[in-house]
Amino acid sequence: MTDLSPNEAMPDPELGPAIRAALAMPHDGAFVTRVRALVRQQRERGWDEVLAGWFWQGVLAASLAVVAVAAAWRVTGGVGATPRTGEESVAVQLLDGDRPGADILLASMAGDR
Amino acid sequence: MTGVDDSALAAQAAAGDPEAFGELVARHAPMARRVAHAVLENEQDADDAAQEGFLSAWQAIRRYDPRRAFRPWLMQIVVNAARDLRRRRKVRTTEPLEFVAAASRDDPAHEAGALDLGDRLRAALAELPERQRLAVVLFDAEGYPQAEIAKMLGIPEGTVKSDVFHGRRALRKLLESVKEEWDD
Repeated sequence: MTDLSPNEAMPDPELGPAIRAALAMPHDGAFVTRVRALVRQQRERGWDEVLAGWFWQGVLAASLAVVAVAAAWRVTGGVGATPRTGEESVAVQLLDGDRPGADILLASMAGDR
Repeated sequence: MTGVDDSALAAQAAAGDPEAFGELVARHAPMARRVAHAVLENEQDADDAAQEGFLSAWQAIRRYDPRRAFRPWLMQIVVNAARDLRRRRKVRTTEPLEFVAAASRDDPAHEAGALDLGDRLRAALAELPERQRLAVVLFDAEGYPQAEIAKMLGIPEGTVKSDVFHGRRALRKLLESVKEEWDD
């Protein structure tokens, strides 16, 4: 073995293999098999978690959509449409000097609920 | 996959191919286990740390930059895993390697010297400060350039040079004394 100095930039040809042999561990094959199985397992679990994440995101999105549709229904469609027509009709008939009919008054009141 | 280089396998692994990563595990497991063994001085802890290192690397594989060499990237993760484990766990005392003990039972005359050298080298390595020990192992046993070791350990290159120098000096003395005993 040659003398060593702090500036020596080459691995020691005698010490290196001796250390490698001293630190070598048995059963590399078994270790590799175990780690490979864990990697596959993690990947499968990873997909499950992704799908689970999507599921809850989907539930949330669907809930928001239902709320939005319900709100839109209340504002623009369904029950609100008739009274608005009624309200307009009442106003138009009053402006025209006519007395609105009972059906138009009922529709207008229902719209106020 | 034997002809495929590490970076290509890492790219396949980053795309979600566990078999490509498995090939990287097979290629680098012996080195990862040796390096973890150098930090932890115990085979079982070393295996736990190496395994943890590989699993961390698998989780982080999308962050690996293929322009860099794969081996130092992986080894840095393994070293960190081993150091973390050492901090978390009270490391068990070093015991003789079972496979060497078994080999010496099979052929006592032939293996007695090797067993003695291996045990004594491990004991001498355990006497070195961890950073010095890692510097010698990564440089002399695993062949990493000192600049790469400096990056891996997060220390200046000059410190690595100094650690290698002092670590080698202690281990050389041991090797010389064993040789003298053999000559006698």
